[in-house]
Amino acid sequence: MKKLFLLLLTMFVGSGVAMSQAYCGNHAFDGEHKNEVSGYVMAGTNVVTDGFGGLAGSYTRHFTPRWHVGGDMQMQFGKQLFSMDVTGGYRLPLKYGSLFFDGKFLYNRYNKFNFNELIGNVSVTWETAYVDVRLGESWIHYQHTSDGYTEPLTLTFGLGVNVRHRDNPWNIGLYFRNYDEFYYENWNINWGVRFYAPLPRRLRLFGELNVRPAGSISQLASKYETSIKLGIKYKW
Amino acid sequence: MKLQHITIIAALAIVALTSCEKVSPIGVLVSGTAVEDRVKMSHLYYSQYLDEFVMAGVKGDYTFIVGGDSHLTKDPGRMDEMLAIGLENEDTFYAHLGDIADTKPEYYIRLDSLIQAAKKRYVAKNFDTDDNKIYYPKGVPHDSEEAMTFQEIIYPFFPVVGNHDITHNGWALWSNIFHSSFYEFPVHIINSSGETEAIDRFIFLDTASGTLGQEQVDLIEEGVLDGDDKNKYRHTFVFSHTNIFRPSAWQFASTFPREETFFLLNQFKKWNTSIVFCGHVHAWDEREFEGVTYLTLDSMSEENSPNPGDYLVRVHVNADGTLSWEKVHMSYTKKKK
Repeated sequence: MKKLFLLLLTMFVGSGVAMSQAYCGNHAFDGEHKNEVSGYVMAGTNVVTDGFGGLAGSYTRHFTPRWHVGGDMQMQFGKQLFSMDVTGGYRLPLKYGSLFFDGKFLYNRYNKFNFNELIGNVSVTWETAYVDVRLGESWIHYQHTSDGYTEPLTLTFGLGVNVRHRDNPWNIGLYFRNYDEFYYENWNINWGVRFYAPLPRRLRLFGELNVRPAGSISQLASKYETSIKLGIKYKW
Repeated sequence: MKLQHITIIAALAIVALTSCEKVSPIGVLVSGTAVEDRVKMSHLYYSQYLDEFVMAGVKGDYTFIVGGDSHLTKDPGRMDEMLAIGLENEDTFYAHLGDIADTKPEYYIRLDSLIQAAKKRYVAKNFDTDDNKIYYPKGVPHDSEEAMTFQEIIYPFFPVVGNHDITHNGWALWSNIFHSSFYEFPVHIINSSGETEAIDRFIFLDTASGTLGQEQVDLIEEGVLDGDDKNKYRHTFVFSHTNIFRPSAWQFASTFPREETFFLLNQFKKWNTSIVFCGHVHAWDEREFEGVTYLTLDSMSEENSPNPGDYLVRVHVNADGTLSWEKVHMSYTKKKK
């Protein structure tokens, strides 16, 4: 029972692979470096808040080739959004790729709208050499000055495809998903391009162009938010 | 062609497409009028033809009826029933929450014919006419200034546009009948002396795309729906196709993105809204958030809801300012082939 409690605690209050989950083929422990720290800058436009920019940072600790924990933080100017999360997960090696069982607990402060949001997410990701698929569920609660609302459970799903093997020093790929590092949507499906490339001294450049529409991937999907992220990851 | 080349071309295509309002891979292949253009067109029409969005004053209590997601195709039974219920009960107006028809020209022709027939019944019940085809509200002297032609009579049916109304360039069909998807009108409550005692306000938003879009957000922030500063509104009612709250975890229809949800919740509170009516998910939901009631209506369509049921809502607004609502039963069932 104590082990189970510790397992759940680690998954929910653990730490962060959120960014590494989002950027292609980058999820698993590489067998060599136990610490990852990364940061990125972002800029974009949003229908409600107009132009915005931001900074984000992340740390991941691989205790073993199977267990990892971490945390992420971001600030978006323009939206007046502050976010932080703790995540953790377990990797189950398979014949083809790995299965990742991840948990995340996320807090968002939408200061412009005076809303606080709490999100708990559990997900399973099957990551193969070229393709990754994710399914999960999100618990979302938001609170305004005098009232709060807990949404019905929200399905999490994502699909990513890379052009090179995930162990390749560089990669580029496409993705479709109804979440990002710091939000989970219902049926509004993000899509975009992601990449990473090697830099000297155990550094890696990564980034993505994210199209966040209102509406699903149909002819009705309308422009809601477009953003670019560019960052550096360091492993040791 | 190598996979890398295909991916790079796809990446460049995404960069190009992000400057377009239709951000879906399917959307760029199928024509359609995006929310920005719909709102610009609607606001221009609304500004120029304000007379079409004016309701006659009401004395004392009044009611209005709301339905949605009729998805009219070949069988207009439920839509016809809604208008008949409104006429029979002498509701002041009838509001529709979008997805009024599935997008095919013949369905909109059928809808237009149905509305024109309903208008004739409405005029016959509420107006007298003379030999010159001039119409007067019943009980009004024929020499009064309220004389009007049939065309000038406003049939009190006010819809918002839904996502099914704009597929396959359906906006051309929808707007040809209803003209504007973004508008508001007041209802003046007249006392026994003929003076305005209170004003209630009705706001219709274009949320068919799952977002208000930049233009509509800007117009709302500029206050174009805030009405006349001199008049304080007693009640505000908002009509939106896209729903704010999902009835259950099994509803996967698109709702507003996060920031827009918060923007709208704040805006409804700022407008001191009494009830927000939504459709879209084809499931009933009722809840309250910060003093605002949110009613999401089930689909009244024969296809989606084949059995008789309580698919409409009637709101009773009393002269003393109190209000209540009730579900209204629809009994029409689909014709058997």
